[in-house]
Amino acid sequence: MFLSACYNAPDPGKAGGGGPGMLAGAPAQSFELRRTDGRTDSLARHRGQVVLLNIWATWCPPCQEEMPALQRFARENAGKVVVLGVDQGESAAAAGGYAREHGVTFPILLDEQQQYGRTYAALGMPTSVIVGRDGRVVKGVDGAMTIEQMRAAVAPALAAAAPQRAHGASI
Amino acid sequence: MLAQDLYPTTPLYHTWQYALALTIALVVVLAYANGARRGEDGVAGRRVLVSAAGAAVIVVAGLASGLLGPDTASVVGTPGTVVPVPALGSAAFFGPADAGALVRGTAGVTLRRRNAAEIVVAPSGRRLVGESLVYLEPRPAAYVEAFDAHGARLTVTQPTSASFLSPVLLFRDHQRIGAFDVPFDTFAAPARHRVVRAIYFTPEQLRTFTHADALDAAHPALVVTASNDTGKQLGIALLASGRTVELGGVRVRATIGTYPALTVAAAPATWALLAGIALFLAGIVWSALGARGGGAVRAEPQPPNPPQPQRA
Repeated sequence: MFLSACYNAPDPGKAGGGGPGMLAGAPAQSFELRRTDGRTDSLARHRGQVVLLNIWATWCPPCQEEMPALQRFARENAGKVVVLGVDQGESAAAAGGYAREHGVTFPILLDEQQQYGRTYAALGMPTSVIVGRDGRVVKGVDGAMTIEQMRAAVAPALAAAAPQRAHGASI
Repeated sequence: MLAQDLYPTTPLYHTWQYALALTIALVVVLAYANGARRGEDGVAGRRVLVSAAGAAVIVVAGLASGLLGPDTASVVGTPGTVVPVPALGSAAFFGPADAGALVRGTAGVTLRRRNAAEIVVAPSGRRLVGESLVYLEPRPAAYVEAFDAHGARLTVTQPTSASFLSPVLLFRDHQRIGAFDVPFDTFAAPARHRVVRAIYFTPEQLRTFTHADALDAAHPALVVTASNDTGKQLGIALLASGRTVELGGVRVRATIGTYPALTVAAAPATWALLAGIALFLAGIVWSALGARGGGAVRAEPQPPNPPQPQRA
């Protein structure tokens, strides 16, 4: 169980605990990474757009279960929401191969140093982070979401007016 | 009291014996001051009252920090996480660290307080926060990476850590091996269903290993073991910093260094110490100058003897 777990036990009382939900309102940190298609990408490059950042890995069963819904969500919200998959600690061959095999068309970033996973307080995988147009975290979600939950998660960010000028954001 | 600032983690400062010793010292200082105030030691004694006041300030500051200050505590945080520190009314943000930062020991900690400025605690610095002295103490740490047999990267997880996806091991637990009490940590490579246990050995401990000749005995190293889903042991190896070993079909590389823990200790307030020392020295100097000048420290002139009656 320990080996195949995609999660540790969330313990709000534990030092450093709290998960990505506690990041709501904070500036979203960005790291420049290589993508499976060879380009480089980062959260910062999508400033001004609503972003759903999904932290995942190919070996993670809940991530595998969530992936079809995420792909469908990305397709139906093309132009409104940017979906970024951030593979944790795996090679381009592993992540790219999985994406091709499962028809994933949104960008997959290769986070070999697991920087996004660490920074966004992931208690496990998948972890999703909704980032608003102002570059701040709107919501952090532990665990796999259904497409309905994805729609509900991004709705506040889509409803929010585009900022005149963003201050202090990291992206 | 100076020692209390220089070596604040000594448990002695929170004992009743220490408090009693300080109380006795304070009583002695006050008793002397009372006598001096009444002129028992003349003008010089009165001037030394300034020194007595300085000594009293220092003793009271030490007493207050020992009785009211927090017990010494070490706060360990995973890189990139925030840990509440109730003793300081703050949250400690442990800075991110990659392999290089662990080797250089450059990671710092930032204290964030509500409605107050951030306090950055650098690896070599000490900061006073209220009645507490805070500073960083380096702890063993290792940045681990895992690869499959073909060299492709594998996800590293720490299911029992506050930071699930951190590749930095902090060796919070200890185990007994022979004469040694050694720190250890574990991480998983879930894609290959492997758990790796890493045991940290200091150079001194390594020198006692007959089979550790290949290692650079000047640096710490790890003993790593791998097991599978069922807990079956799949291999054991010595792992020096920057090297890679293969265990149970997983290649493991570790970069060994240090990552700081935040130490919080009670210490006398610096301003009180400085003020007390300044008063103490000022009183001594004032008294000494008076003595050199002559009259100022002489005993107060006695009234002339009344004329003796002439004998007839």
